[in-house]
Amino acid sequence: MKAFQMQCKMEIIRILRNRYFVFWSIAMPILFYYIFTNVVNTNASDKGEWAAHYLMSMTAFSVMGSSIMTLGIRMVQERSQGWSTFIRITPLSDTVYFAAQMIGQSVIHVLSITIIFIAGFLINGVSLTALEWVLSGLWILLGSLPFLALGTVIGMMKKVETAAGVSNVLYMIMAVAGGMWTPLEFMPKIMQNIGKWLPSYNFGNGAWEIVTGSMPDWRNILILITYLALFMLLSKYIRRKTEAV
Amino acid sequence: MNKIVSLTNVTKSFQHKKAVNDISFSIGKGEVVAILGPNGAGKTTTISMILGLLKPSTGEVQLFGRQPQERQVREKIGTMLQEVSVMPGLKVREILELIRCYYPHRLAMPELIKLTGLTEQDMKTRAEKLSGGQKRRLSFALALAGNPELIILDEPTVGMDITSRNHFWQTVHQLAAQGKTIIFSTHYLQEADDAADRILLFKDGAIVADGTPAQIKASISKQSVSFIVDPEISLENLYLHSEIDDIYRKNNRVYVQSTNTDRVLELIFQEKIGARDIQIERGKLEEAFEQLTSAAKEAI
Repeated sequence: MKAFQMQCKMEIIRILRNRYFVFWSIAMPILFYYIFTNVVNTNASDKGEWAAHYLMSMTAFSVMGSSIMTLGIRMVQERSQGWSTFIRITPLSDTVYFAAQMIGQSVIHVLSITIIFIAGFLINGVSLTALEWVLSGLWILLGSLPFLALGTVIGMMKKVETAAGVSNVLYMIMAVAGGMWTPLEFMPKIMQNIGKWLPSYNFGNGAWEIVTGSMPDWRNILILITYLALFMLLSKYIRRKTEAV
Repeated sequence: MNKIVSLTNVTKSFQHKKAVNDISFSIGKGEVVAILGPNGAGKTTTISMILGLLKPSTGEVQLFGRQPQERQVREKIGTMLQEVSVMPGLKVREILELIRCYYPHRLAMPELIKLTGLTEQDMKTRAEKLSGGQKRRLSFALALAGNPELIILDEPTVGMDITSRNHFWQTVHQLAAQGKTIIFSTHYLQEADDAADRILLFKDGAIVADGTPAQIKASISKQSVSFIVDPEISLENLYLHSEIDDIYRKNNRVYVQSTNTDRVLELIFQEKIGARDIQIERGKLEEAFEQLTSAAKEAI
């Protein structure tokens, strides 16, 4: 049990010390949030609603990024530097190791969500009911699971450079095409049709629905679960293939 | 004998190549064993199988009478891998604290620091900023963190300077004196000769010699008598004696190879060739190594 707590603690310390994480997952989303709600005139009909909507977009954007990139790249790093091999020789079980990584990552997500929510409140005075704050936060936390699974797929890659490149491209495409930067309604019809099937849109949409007083669509939940299963299977399949020595 | 490690008819093939071919040996408690051999001889493959990182294609590996992957085994072993393993983002002290808590019989931190020669400055440094030598010290500390009974070191001194190398071997001797079993691989003959009380000499995936450094040297017994002689003098007469295996000149000296050096001395005086500055050269481990490993090559 002590090993587990220690492992979680160290995972969290490691993420917080990672400059890329602090920049991409905290500073960037808050900066974007400030720009797109205050500097750029978006002609939103309801300023308050737009401020809340975009706050959800940026929080989801942040959590999606750290799920795909932080986890994936770290897995590649640990494997390529022989750390994973070393861990296999210690008495630490794979389950504890994996669980600690997931818990560490979730604690970090809770932290990111809290910080960005507070920033939204301070910058634009976003006001939601207590239930809406909690529900949207929970939705973003749980909805990040498919992206964590995608992170483990990225984590199967051989080189850190490839993993970083691929995850960056995937991350940006999903963020833009999923309506996290500009809402889908302002995009061409064809982009809207594609976007609705992306995990990023369904992830964001759940939170957008919550802040307008409704509940996430069943469709959103189903699509996210499907992606979760897909990425988990893919990651398991690749691992089985690479470990077949 | 209390067996700590035992390999029985172990073979490991990758695709069509046999990296390790039908080896068997066992190591008792308290032994310090060097796995010696040129690159590609199967040293790392053998160590990986002992550690349970690779499964043998056929045969069996047992540690403490159990499978290498079992938790009870893992709690009693410590390793230093060839690849430098660091956990980015953590300081040395944090990494050591983390790894220590995986083990039930962990080594106290002050003792760990003393054994491995880590400095106060090292302890505060983040893993990714360590120099090559510091990384090796950290790796060694990680190997000892769980106060293991069996210590397995794969090419431990690669990247160490002379001072840290000396300190390292001193610590290994200290650990051996405490009754720990130590296995290390190396391609430095000197290290195997100095540090081990038993050498397993590997060549092309097989063990070509197994014994104390002295035994291995003796089994080769490539001894010679060397001397300086006037180049005008003919050595023809020496060739006539069957006890002499070979005669060659190197650096102005004449070398006469024979298993019986006493007889060679006798002959030198008998033939009155006027030899000066006579020396008897004992077989060196280096020669044994070369002879054993290249002889196997010719056999193919």
